[in-house]
Amino acid sequence: MTTAESVKVTINGQEFQVQKGAPLIDVCRENGFAIPSFCYYADLALQASCRMCLVRIEKMPKLQTSCTITCTDGMIVTTQSEEIEKAQRGMVEFLLANHPLDCPVCDRGGECELQEMVFDWGGLEERFTERKNYYPEKFLSPIVANDPQRCILCKRCTRVCDEWMGEDAIEAGGRGANTVIGTFGGWLNCSQCGNCIEVCPTGTLLDATYRHQTRPWELERTVSTCTFCSDGCQMSLGSRAGELMRVVARDRYVDGINGEFLCIKGRFAHPFVNHEERLRTPLIRYRKGGKLIPATWDEAIRFTAAKLQEIKDAHGANSIGVVGSPRLTNEANYVLLKFAREVIGTEHYTASEAFSLAPFFKHMTAPLATHKDIRHAKTIVLIGGEPEELQPLTAKQVRQAVRNGGAKLVIINSVPVRLKQQATQFLHVRPGTEDALVLALAGQTDDAMAARKMGVEVGEIEPLRRMIDETQGNVVLMFGGELSTEAQTILAQLPGSIGDEENRRFLFHPLPLFNNSFGVHDVGLMDGKLNATGLLDAAGDTVRALYVAGGLLPAHLQGREQALQNLDFLVVQELFATDTTAHADVVFPAASFAEIDGTYTNNDGLVQRVRQSIPPVHQAKPDWVITSLLADALGIDFNYQMSASAVFREIGEHVPAYQGLRYPLLKDESKPVQAKYQLAGQRAEVADVLAELRQRVERMTGAGDKIMETPEVGHELFKIGTLTGKVPQFHLLAAGNPEPPDVLVSPLYQITIDSGLRRDTAIAGD
Amino acid sequence: MFIGAIGCEPLQLKRVGLENSRTLDVYRQHGGYEALKKVLDGMSPEDVIGEVKKSALRGRGGAGFPTGMKWSFVPKDSPKPKYVVCNADESEPGTFKDRFLMERDPHMLIEGMLIAAYALGSRTTYIYTRGEYRYLINILDAAIQEAREAGLVGDRIMGTEFSCEVFTHTGAGAYICGEETALLNSLEGLRGHPRMKPPFPAIAGLYGCPTVVNNVETLTAVPDIIKMGGEAYQKLGTQKSGGTKVWSVSGHVNRPGVYELPMGYEDMEKFIMEDCGGMLGGKQLKAVIPGGSSVYIMPATDIVGKKVKMDYEGLVVAGSMVGSGGFIVMDETVDVFESTKNLTEFYKHESCGWCTPCREGTDWLVKVFKRIAKGEGRPEDAQLLLDLCDNIEGKSFCPLGDAAAWPIQSAIKKFPEDFRRHLMPMATRTAEAVAAD
Repeated sequence: MTTAESVKVTINGQEFQVQKGAPLIDVCRENGFAIPSFCYYADLALQASCRMCLVRIEKMPKLQTSCTITCTDGMIVTTQSEEIEKAQRGMVEFLLANHPLDCPVCDRGGECELQEMVFDWGGLEERFTERKNYYPEKFLSPIVANDPQRCILCKRCTRVCDEWMGEDAIEAGGRGANTVIGTFGGWLNCSQCGNCIEVCPTGTLLDATYRHQTRPWELERTVSTCTFCSDGCQMSLGSRAGELMRVVARDRYVDGINGEFLCIKGRFAHPFVNHEERLRTPLIRYRKGGKLIPATWDEAIRFTAAKLQEIKDAHGANSIGVVGSPRLTNEANYVLLKFAREVIGTEHYTASEAFSLAPFFKHMTAPLATHKDIRHAKTIVLIGGEPEELQPLTAKQVRQAVRNGGAKLVIINSVPVRLKQQATQFLHVRPGTEDALVLALAGQTDDAMAARKMGVEVGEIEPLRRMIDETQGNVVLMFGGELSTEAQTILAQLPGSIGDEENRRFLFHPLPLFNNSFGVHDVGLMDGKLNATGLLDAAGDTVRALYVAGGLLPAHLQGREQALQNLDFLVVQELFATDTTAHADVVFPAASFAEIDGTYTNNDGLVQRVRQSIPPVHQAKPDWVITSLLADALGIDFNYQMSASAVFREIGEHVPAYQGLRYPLLKDESKPVQAKYQLAGQRAEVADVLAELRQRVERMTGAGDKIMETPEVGHELFKIGTLTGKVPQFHLLAAGNPEPPDVLVSPLYQITIDSGLRRDTAIAGD
Repeated sequence: MFIGAIGCEPLQLKRVGLENSRTLDVYRQHGGYEALKKVLDGMSPEDVIGEVKKSALRGRGGAGFPTGMKWSFVPKDSPKPKYVVCNADESEPGTFKDRFLMERDPHMLIEGMLIAAYALGSRTTYIYTRGEYRYLINILDAAIQEAREAGLVGDRIMGTEFSCEVFTHTGAGAYICGEETALLNSLEGLRGHPRMKPPFPAIAGLYGCPTVVNNVETLTAVPDIIKMGGEAYQKLGTQKSGGTKVWSVSGHVNRPGVYELPMGYEDMEKFIMEDCGGMLGGKQLKAVIPGGSSVYIMPATDIVGKKVKMDYEGLVVAGSMVGSGGFIVMDETVDVFESTKNLTEFYKHESCGWCTPCREGTDWLVKVFKRIAKGEGRPEDAQLLLDLCDNIEGKSFCPLGDAAAWPIQSAIKKFPEDFRRHLMPMATRTAEAVAAD
């Protein structure tokens, strides 16, 4: 970013030095002059339609909208005067003319921007005595309710739908006073992110899964981190009487990296927390083939400790495997690792992760990009991955970087992902050949060979290289799990070999699948001897017992269904009965993210707080507490005194990247703290890796069909998993019901997911 | 219906009365495309803009912005293509001059557009007509085809290096698309909403490229300016308002029609009483809306004996505006409350809905007017109407809000009696009616 020159602006008689070209409305607000507005929304296209933010600027004939005025030198602004107040009161009066005045029955009452504005700018009596225009309420989808009467046409919803999501599913129709926000065909055919609900200042668009269940002032609000993907969106959990009622990101409650953005999972997939199928008590299977029988915590811990001790004594420490999860907190995974190393003494510990980022972290020669960096990047290279579905916030930042920031985007993918609409260049490669591009970028193969393997034209690689070379600003390299470990290593070394220039900087943005994929790596849980599939393959052989926290991935169990049965002893910490608990000898009911304190590390490397919103349901306990209890029963007291903060303090002492971090430092979600990852230099041993990569690429057959169809929006987002499966609306959205033949337009049966386009590498969170 | 010039030689209306005036032959027989030839024979684009500047030609669409200045805002060194767009979305109630010019003399418009395109370095021009003028598209397209066959439109016009295309496009029937940026949105295929200014179209207009949007009558004036020279054209009118102006006269006069007057025509009263043949049926003049529905209404007292000069400055002095030149004459039988209600309904119908004051304000105004018309008026309603107008005027996104407010403000101010009658309590009204009986 260039440093803009500073100019002098006089606001209400006070002088300020501000950046030239800054929006006047922001400058006024930052300096403490309240300016009302509805349609103005930072980082969206200007609208200037609500006419609330009027100010008087000297030498301009009329009142001006401060959202459209940029600061110039010597500007003299008045934000408060009789004239301005009359105009603003007039606008509120206009907005209320056709707006129903029945706030007590409106779901937005109590947190409605229009309502608040009326307290400040409304009249004492209503002069409008005519009939109000009427439109009936309707559902736009199973999760979006629409009451068009309440609309003030600020069009934030249409703009976020277009600019953030690139979906354009919602648009204004009609003219003049008959204008209503509507959809094409009468229902919302989109990813159902619900951001239109979030940004709506009135009760026009409402969360149909939550509305009329409680009032906002009855909710206890807790700022926490989303548990569904690696983006780590900040959100506000609203709970009442121990029940999680809703999840929002409204800026009045939370101010995180995501602003008011959330995806369908973050916003709507929380009902699993209070779901009736949650495990209620610890369960013990006293003999193989028997039933899981409810037990007390004391008994379950004692039983487990005794069994583990027995197996350790009989088969040695390494016969016990410990499996953490990239879905659990840093605290849980750290305590698990400590349990494995210090209590059991086993070398067999890992996490149920889809792919390991270890080679990347070991060799990375450029820092990690934050989501803000992505928004302001100049060139973005996306190799594999599908952020639209798996890291929606990243996708939104990429789209805005291109649309609002003029960035260039190159996509290398075997599927024509929807984000390619924004791409400057799209390399449509054969599945599994992404490695070849990394080799070509590293200059270790001729373009012709790489292009042949990938199934693209030879000339398609050079423009990408040139684009990176000519970039003035940040180059963000993103990659998904499609890259092999060797390719990850070479890519991680690439910035070091190309080198930064004065105006160009490389940044990395890996796209792991889970909310704490970085965390499991950081605490060292991924450093064990075997990975999850390795452990399962050794089950019943060298590995006699497994202690699994958080459940195994379907991909791990696929083809290894027998493995769990071969074990002598299986302990599982879970929220629900799953395929894994079906084979468990002991099951501990774990607390969900809404019931615990902790931290997640997102794909920016930001260490963000998870905060307890409700007490653990039934008899659930946080994962790290369960592990500590087990350790205690096995004779080692971790001495955390039931405090997650104490666990994190220890992490801050033992994990290099988290050196010095404490909970108090992480308390402000608007100023997130990035872990301090060590950058690697150029490494000699990379030569071997390079040779291996070259061989791998050479072995590629150059065959394999590209997927030619762009997947429907939400083909991963709507996937029914353990957690999302607990949301009835997800079943409707995922076309769980057949479409009735005689219904032309039904908001309840709308989205078809083409499962044929799902790829094996993409295992969505949950 | 009268067609012709008063007080000057006809320029715009020179050929409209001729047989087959639409054809290229007739147009050429009467001096057609001579101006284009003159331009291509040795005038530089700067010369053309210079002549237009000297002519003191002001935009005839309503705002009256100096055309030469508008043209000079287009950046010469921009690498982007430049566009000339003719605004033929003539939707202002009481205005029908552009339709007339296009219907009878389409080549004059084409020549004007070509000269403008030459001056601005444009190769592509568009004529955007309102949806209801669909039938004109056939006439314009036929004329363009004729001109193309004669080598006047298309590649290498008149054998020179200058190439230019003229395309026609109709709107879908929205008054707002007469606003130049809404027109550009509509032309691009978007919703007809006005755009934010700045950037002005001269910098970023059609498809984000430098664009000049001119009214039909503005462009048809250009060939004559080139032929006679800017100075001579200006001398036909006044210092600041050069040339002649075409007025569409309608309402209670004996000879409604299309009149071409020199700018600064000396007396509006004389124009109505003599040139337009006097009041229909010998009734008394009550009011005049001189420039299309959006301007202030003038009561007879402001006209009779006041020697109102008919040009941009003169009408402002008299308390109104030239606007689009839709000259509406009303006699004593007109109830100004009713006529204003009618206009307000028009603005409510045509408000695009983008901004709060215009969308909600016009809706509210109409509801108040309708309530009053139903006999449920209240004495404080006049103040309410004025206050609503004040909250719309100057606060709306585009001038449509102002245009909706001005007629009401001036009507209440100038004809309070007409409103008072409707706002009286029903009992008083009945008593007055009985007394008058």
